Amino acid sequence: MAFLNWKIAGAAGEGIKVSGLMLQKTAFRAGFYSYGSTEYPSLIRGGHNTFEVVISNEPVASGRIKVDLLVDLKASTIASLPFPLADLAKQSGNLLTKNTVALGGSCFLLGLDLSLLKAVIKEAFAGKDQTIIDQNYQAAQLGFDFAAKNYSDKKLKLDAPKQPLNNKIMLNGNEALALGAVAGGMKFYCAYPMTPSTPILHYLAAKAEKLGIVVNHAEDEIGVINMAIGAGAGGVRSMVATSGGGFSLMTEGLGLAGGTETPVVIILGMRPGPASGMPTWSGQGDLLFAINAAQDEFPRIVLAPGDPQEAFALAAKAQNLAEKYQLPVIILSDKNLGEGYYTTNRPADKHHNQRYSLASGLTESDQPFARYQVTESGISPRPLPGTPGGIHLINSYEHDELGYATEVAAERTKQMNKRLTKLKTILASPDLIGPKRYGPTTAKTTIISWGSNKGAIIDALEQLPDTNFIHFSWLWPFPQNQFLSLIAGKPRLMTVEANATGQISKLIAQETGMIIKDNLLKYDGRQFYSEEIIEAVKKL
Amino acid sequence: MSQRVTNISPTWCPGCGNFAILGAIKAALDQLQIKTHQAVFVYDVGCSGNMADFVFAYGFHALHGRGLPPAAGIKLANHNLKVFVIIGDGGCYGEGVGHLLSLARGNHDVTVLTHDNFLYSLTTGQKSPTTPKGQVTPSTPLGTTDEPFNPLATALTNSASFVARGFAGDIPHLTKLLVEATKHQGFSLIDVLQPCPTYNKSRPYSWYREHVEYLDKLGHDPANLEAAWKASYKTDKLPIGVFYQVPRTPWHENFALLKDKPLVEADIRQIDLTQVLDEFK
Repeated sequence: MAFLNWKIAGAAGEGIKVSGLMLQKTAFRAGFYSYGSTEYPSLIRGGHNTFEVVISNEPVASGRIKVDLLVDLKASTIASLPFPLADLAKQSGNLLTKNTVALGGSCFLLGLDLSLLKAVIKEAFAGKDQTIIDQNYQAAQLGFDFAAKNYSDKKLKLDAPKQPLNNKIMLNGNEALALGAVAGGMKFYCAYPMTPSTPILHYLAAKAEKLGIVVNHAEDEIGVINMAIGAGAGGVRSMVATSGGGFSLMTEGLGLAGGTETPVVIILGMRPGPASGMPTWSGQGDLLFAINAAQDEFPRIVLAPGDPQEAFALAAKAQNLAEKYQLPVIILSDKNLGEGYYTTNRPADKHHNQRYSLASGLTESDQPFARYQVTESGISPRPLPGTPGGIHLINSYEHDELGYATEVAAERTKQMNKRLTKLKTILASPDLIGPKRYGPTTAKTTIISWGSNKGAIIDALEQLPDTNFIHFSWLWPFPQNQFLSLIAGKPRLMTVEANATGQISKLIAQETGMIIKDNLLKYDGRQFYSEEIIEAVKKL
Repeated sequence: MSQRVTNISPTWCPGCGNFAILGAIKAALDQLQIKTHQAVFVYDVGCSGNMADFVFAYGFHALHGRGLPPAAGIKLANHNLKVFVIIGDGGCYGEGVGHLLSLARGNHDVTVLTHDNFLYSLTTGQKSPTTPKGQVTPSTPLGTTDEPFNPLATALTNSASFVARGFAGDIPHLTKLLVEATKHQGFSLIDVLQPCPTYNKSRPYSWYREHVEYLDKLGHDPANLEAAWKASYKTDKLPIGVFYQVPRTPWHENFALLKDKPLVEADIRQIDLTQVLDEFK
């Protein structure tokens, strides 16, 4: 087999995710591509947790419905075969090593080298008592030996990696977003915990000193966005991350960034709503909300990376876009991307940044600086507070070129036009990222999607003749020309997205007048599987 | 002396306490010899916040109730700047009270000047958190039924390291408070009693003059938390002066990164991720 799907299931608190990640890391170290995803309820003990890993000898970026090897902790079985997990754990000297026994057994059945698992155990338990590490080594060995002795005929035949993984890393979308932002010069990260974006806070807080950034867990999302905007106004590249509920609280602040033309980057990790919804599941119901959130009209950029590689690149780019165009940039992520573990190209180690749109060459003056000067591009040079000669008022009220409040009709119109001009400037600039096509240049059928569905669709393409795929990682301002050029051959179009009313279809209709009638929509909180996409295209 | 005001004429009502507070701000900045470009004022939305157009310094006119978080952000960005928040009792003690607690507890080094006129005046005189119980306002035609908010006791309870009350009718005293608050390393709150001649006719300057008393003349020790607490609960008289002051590490000094230079000066030209990326191998 070119790939197979391993899964572990148990109760919350049983270490399902940690075990799943250890198995995935073992496969990664063995040279396999993998995609790991976790399903869990919003509670700390009990319930039903799973972690599944698709292990493949070629690139893979999505889950599969069919499970080849299930570790069921409750039933104490592996692939439905009785497996005395508790007894073997007891033999290791520590009943808590049940999962490790299962991992040892899985290694045998998957044909993975036990020494790789042992190295992963050592890393996972780093800092713990040596006795615990030894007990886990012993548990892994006992599980491996038990499977070898009793189930040697059940060993799965997974094809060896075609070539060693070269310059790859294993990480999730949240980690990629966090690191990308740092690469892009982010120096302040502010957040209030909310699934699925909380891991970004945990990661950056843990690494703050190493990364040379300040991280703050603030009082609420309103405080979060307003503090980040303050830091942005002070000249520090800043980012916040939340989910739909927190983003709802941030919307007034989003408008503040828009109206005051202050850079800020917001990660919106989507999950099913409305209200508290399904906290630990995934969705894409906030696309039109992100594009339209906050009162009245102002420019913003909305991005939607499809995998960790894009997440890293776009999070870095977002920092530059926000500063260059002096506006809020929203990055749409979701639970699938954020908490999904991928095998991905290692980003460059060194990153270079330049500052944008700052005023320079100022000399002390007793006159205010024209912060909101009308320019052709809509971007006005910005002096940072503390600069002699740059004194100005950053104003949430409508203002004149000097920043002072105004209700004069002509001034209002002038400033609205100035701000909205930035959208045209962006659309005409090389900064714009048009939708990307995967698969053949021309095809009978074209799948259209955005964000984290990318992996499942690309994985499906291999089995879909005469089909290609257009993926949007940049949604606003809408790259209309780039999109239209990709569908010039008038293929049959089918959208794929995780919401109930077809938001990308609505957006395309709004921007191009084109109505796309075939829509594969899913809003049960689960990820798209390539099997579902293949089936939907075949039914067209 | 530096230029402190713009050429825009204040739009406040005749007799408004805001004129006096602006006067005290100018005097304090002069006394402290703060250069115009080294001060940042964050303004909340309200009559007090309209000061944004009148002060010649870096300014940020925030959203209603949200004056404090951007001030904390600006201070974080460049802790060499002196950061002030101009806010009313509605924004500071109502809509934005969570931010007040957060900045006080964190000891963010900003000076908050709450223009406390016991009403929402810009929206034509509705009750505010500090409105005395029973007062008739347009939103409480039968009289407010809520007990008033106690800003000073709240600040003390939440570990504010500098808590004071001033009075718009005594500019030299308010100036002195502002100078002390600005020099204080950490969070400072000055609740400023001010009349609203338009909507709060029951409390003109004369009423305040009869009710204020000076803490320093009463022998109050600002290092005594218990005494500060007792003073904050007085209602027959309204004590003014420094209630409490204690040395505490300002928020930004918790970060080793900010020891040598402000965050805004951190070099972003070259970012090296080698070490952290190695952890994903």
